[in-house]
Amino acid sequence: MKSFLSFCFLLLVTLVSAISSTGDRLLAVLDDVAEKAGYSKFLGDLESRGFKITYETPKSESLSLFHLGERKYDHVIFFPTKAKGLGPNLTPNLLLQFLNQKGNILLTLSSGTPAATSLVSLLSELDIALPSERTGLVVDHFNHDVVSAADAHDVLLLPVPRPARDDVSDLFAAGAPADTPIAFPRGAGVLLGPGPLLTPIVRAPATAYLYNPKEQAEAVAADELFGAGAQLALVAGAQARNSARLAVVGSAEMLSDKWFDAKVTKVGEKKEVPTYNREFAKRIAGWAFQEIGVLRVNWVEHRLNEAVVGANVSNPEMYRIKNDVTYTISLSQYSWDKWTGFTVPANDDLQLEFSMLSPFHRLHLSPDPAHSTPEATAYTVSFTLPDQHGIFNFKVNYKRPLLTNIEEKNTVSVRHMAHDEWPRSYVISGAWPWIAGIGATVTAWLAFVVVWLFSRPAGERVVLKKTQ
Amino acid sequence: MTAATSSSSLDLLASGGRGKSSRTLLRVVILLFIAGAAISSRLFSVIRFESIIHEFDPWFNFRATKYLVSHGFYNFWDWFDDRTWHPLGRVTGGTLYPGLMVTSGVIYHALRALTIPVDIRNICVLLAPAFSGLTAFAAYLLTNEMTTNSSAGLLAAAFMGIAPGYISRSVAGSYDNEAISIFLLVLTFYLWIKALKLGSMLWGAVCALFYGYMVASWGGYAFITCLLPLHAFVLVVMGRYSTRLYVSYCSWYALGTLASMQIPFVGFLPVKTSEHMPALGIFGFLQLMALLDYVRSALPSSRHFQTFLWAAAGGIFSVGLLGLVIATSAGFIAPWGGRFYSLWDTGYAKIHIPIIASVSEHQPTAWPAFFFDLNMLIWLFPAGVYLCFQELADEHVFVVVYAVLGSYFAGVMVRLMLTLTPVVCVSAAIAASQLLNNYLNLKSPKPEDHTVVEGVDVTATKKAKGGLKSTSKPVVGIYSLLSKGIVVASMTIYLLLFVLHCTWVTSNAYSSPSVVLASRMPDGSQHIIDDYREAYQWLRQNTKPDAKIMSWWDYGYQIGGMADRPTLVDNNTWNNTHIATVGKAMSSREEVSYPIMRQHEVDYVLIVFGGLLGYSGDDINKFLWMVRIAEGIWPDEIRERDYFTPRGEYRVDGEASETMKNSLMYKMSYYNYNALFPPGQAQDRVRGARLPEVGPTLNTLDEAFTSENWIIRIYKVKDLDNFDRDHAAAAAFDRGHKKKKGLKKRGPRVLRTE
Repeated sequence: MKSFLSFCFLLLVTLVSAISSTGDRLLAVLDDVAEKAGYSKFLGDLESRGFKITYETPKSESLSLFHLGERKYDHVIFFPTKAKGLGPNLTPNLLLQFLNQKGNILLTLSSGTPAATSLVSLLSELDIALPSERTGLVVDHFNHDVVSAADAHDVLLLPVPRPARDDVSDLFAAGAPADTPIAFPRGAGVLLGPGPLLTPIVRAPATAYLYNPKEQAEAVAADELFGAGAQLALVAGAQARNSARLAVVGSAEMLSDKWFDAKVTKVGEKKEVPTYNREFAKRIAGWAFQEIGVLRVNWVEHRLNEAVVGANVSNPEMYRIKNDVTYTISLSQYSWDKWTGFTVPANDDLQLEFSMLSPFHRLHLSPDPAHSTPEATAYTVSFTLPDQHGIFNFKVNYKRPLLTNIEEKNTVSVRHMAHDEWPRSYVISGAWPWIAGIGATVTAWLAFVVVWLFSRPAGERVVLKKTQ
Repeated sequence: MTAATSSSSLDLLASGGRGKSSRTLLRVVILLFIAGAAISSRLFSVIRFESIIHEFDPWFNFRATKYLVSHGFYNFWDWFDDRTWHPLGRVTGGTLYPGLMVTSGVIYHALRALTIPVDIRNICVLLAPAFSGLTAFAAYLLTNEMTTNSSAGLLAAAFMGIAPGYISRSVAGSYDNEAISIFLLVLTFYLWIKALKLGSMLWGAVCALFYGYMVASWGGYAFITCLLPLHAFVLVVMGRYSTRLYVSYCSWYALGTLASMQIPFVGFLPVKTSEHMPALGIFGFLQLMALLDYVRSALPSSRHFQTFLWAAAGGIFSVGLLGLVIATSAGFIAPWGGRFYSLWDTGYAKIHIPIIASVSEHQPTAWPAFFFDLNMLIWLFPAGVYLCFQELADEHVFVVVYAVLGSYFAGVMVRLMLTLTPVVCVSAAIAASQLLNNYLNLKSPKPEDHTVVEGVDVTATKKAKGGLKSTSKPVVGIYSLLSKGIVVASMTIYLLLFVLHCTWVTSNAYSSPSVVLASRMPDGSQHIIDDYREAYQWLRQNTKPDAKIMSWWDYGYQIGGMADRPTLVDNNTWNNTHIATVGKAMSSREEVSYPIMRQHEVDYVLIVFGGLLGYSGDDINKFLWMVRIAEGIWPDEIRERDYFTPRGEYRVDGEASETMKNSLMYKMSYYNYNALFPPGQAQDRVRGARLPEVGPTLNTLDEAFTSENWIIRIYKVKDLDNFDRDHAAAAAFDRGHKKKKGLKKRGPRVLRTE
């Protein structure tokens, strides 16, 4: 039955060319449904990957994220809307609840339209700050497109984003052609709080800054500056603890058909180059909608690594102190349309903690080819349990930016030595003198008894004693 | 009850009965009646409530017994309990006294073998009453060793059967170690006296056997371990060293110590701790005495040499004592435990070990308790001890030593009333029977007969009235029937009143299971308050099997027994730090408590709140102990003073200190409590306080369950916020408060480094 089901599942997977790992119901929120024509290539790409897109305006009566407490959509994409609020169906609480129920959100900003208040509240709950007037324009006088924004300097040309740290897997730049910039036309930026759940995906260049064209047209006072340089995130990702994702794209325009096909020229160069926007849009949507960077724990096994009876049981609930155990975890990564084995980045380390209140062991998990398949990579480690009884956790806590959080906890009890599990006394060489002592005492006592029993008492004395 | 009264009247028949066999028959019948009375008077709780395990510790014993019955003896012996003391676990098999559980298990299997399947719960509930019948019999045997008067034994058995001091720990359902230990205690004493009297190795060995059983059953075995050597020592000092003493003591000590070392919990303690040193020391001292005795008998007697011998004995004894002191200070021998220190200095525990002082049964005894628990026995007791002084054979010395030691211990610790009760029953029975024997004698000696019977009569009257000179004059005495009648009648009335008192105390004070509370409705009918079981049942049915429950340690055993959920701390208070951790979590602010609860993987917090019902044994009243115990470990973070108002009052109303109001315990107790009352009318009926109009808010906990009368409140610990906000902010957002804008602009901007 199980194999049949998995066969059906595989069949389904092959039929649909690509699909998100969590679902295909996508809601697009636009000011006007007709606006979707401007994003036809972006949305078309999504549809071709298997998403079923529903278009709604915030004012729509039928719009609701939930039905009977369950999510109606798996993903939501927000295009800029002119309305100040998004109405009663898209309140920040509902959006937060949507994320709490593992829905994903792709949110686009624009310098032309102020962000809706409910989105601002949502972002501020996630510690993502927008400019106080809910809008702003990022300009860079050194990295702009000289073709389209020769004067305004508001179409930024950005290099393809590389990972911030070298232990983070490269999701956005891998395979990108050299020297194709991302065009970032007339966008806003956000500031990210220091929390570990937030990741800047595209940072502004060091010379970029954000200002308000209406109020700060002439000059920006130093203390009025919202953000500049690398602190300003133009595209940012937030991943909640439950791995629900929210991506903020500073410029909705960069997803439009116009900029997918545009040719741009960097400052100081003559050559017109195509933009990387289409591929980047695909990848940022793919990340937000759980198509890439998704990790899965297939199975976890821990077992006794000793040649004793009952060692072949996997995942026993109880071990004994100082047992040798083996822990294996199988991980897969979803990449657009299939699960593949997850390989830990070269500079990164997958670790197992064996902990009670605090870790007693923190061990490197190394790949185990014997249990790996093309779809899953197994990582394993063998070690000796500590000399401490208690309730311990095998814990793999692998949380990396842009990747699904892995927090796998398996609780086992570690018991003390049973009374008959200690080595026998004659095995311990230190006990031999004592054993010899016992033997000597027993022998001497028996000898004494024999001598006593077989020696004839002197008759007179006994009589004498009795009379006493 | 009838048996107890009939026993005194049957005494008459017994003494009047002719022939040895009819007397024996009578005695057996009387003892059976006494056992029946002892058992039936302990059944109040079963009749009034139901067959249920009482209080706290019995729930653990019950759970352990169930484990023993279902998993077998070997698994029980090596039991690692991963459902208590999370996440430390408890090596339960090696840290309990298995005697009680094994006894019940043996009874259970024996009954099954006899094809009488009895539920293990009923065996546990009825074990204590059953053993009380045996205790009465043991008291009979012990008293018979003290006096030739067999009616004293029967009286002692009757007293033992119904004395409230013993009933307090042995009503049906009170399935605690004491249930069988008092029987073993009395029986061990009986066997010791028997061995001492006969100088018998066999009786000494039997005594050691029951001593071993006693060690397996109750930590109070140390009382025997100290009393027997003390008795031996007193005998030696009185110049009563004999080979009988040597043989009986040495066979008891050698075999008894070996037996006691078989219990994993005791292990090597008999040779390592101060509590056991008297027994070891006297053992060595007796060897010395035996040697000196031999030397003295072998050598021609010379006065100087004798003096030298005694001086040598005294010298070696003092050297040994000094060696003990040095070994203790050097750390070879563990010093006295905290519980023992608190026996000498009742204020010790309060200052140094709050966890011991926090247990109500470790408090010094209030004097009315003696009358409450022993009634008229308490004034017969000195008379009996006095009568023992009159004869002062070896066994009477034992009673005297026991009486002195037992009285002292009963005075410093409430629960030790239990060890005093047997000796009180024995001496009171000796006194009462002496009294009755003298006054029930209808014969009045004629003055002219006096010269003939003097030899017999003088000893008899001497016993009764002491060795006063006036008694040697034969015509002095009470011979009138009227006087005799009055004395006998008043004695009978006292005995009847005693029975009434015992019944009343048993029924009113000692038969409440404390798991189920009873109250009276306005019309006088009984109303059962069953919040405890309601809450534990809720836990059992609505939480994951491995959901960890944090509560104060008092309820640990009950949660383990009734709700079958893992707990952080329980009544086996072996780890003070762990208890202090829970105390800290309860007495700190939410921001401090939450990480502690996360670290310990707590899923639910259970508290007891009596404010609505006026149930005074609730957690707010115990709160200061939590604070004190936590302060013992974290004196910098928790200060008891902070929980009092500036005027030094412990308040819960609007005037309560800020620390108090922000403590997790306070918040959990009064969360949503206002909603029960009209605005501003919320009232705490235990502390008689009017609560502030705005109740506390809880951010890190969700109210999960509150029982019918609000006695038990259970809170669920929230998970970490999905978006890494702190819980206060998340809760504020859920309530619809907007995050204040521009908060970020204050102060230096926090820059991301990656």
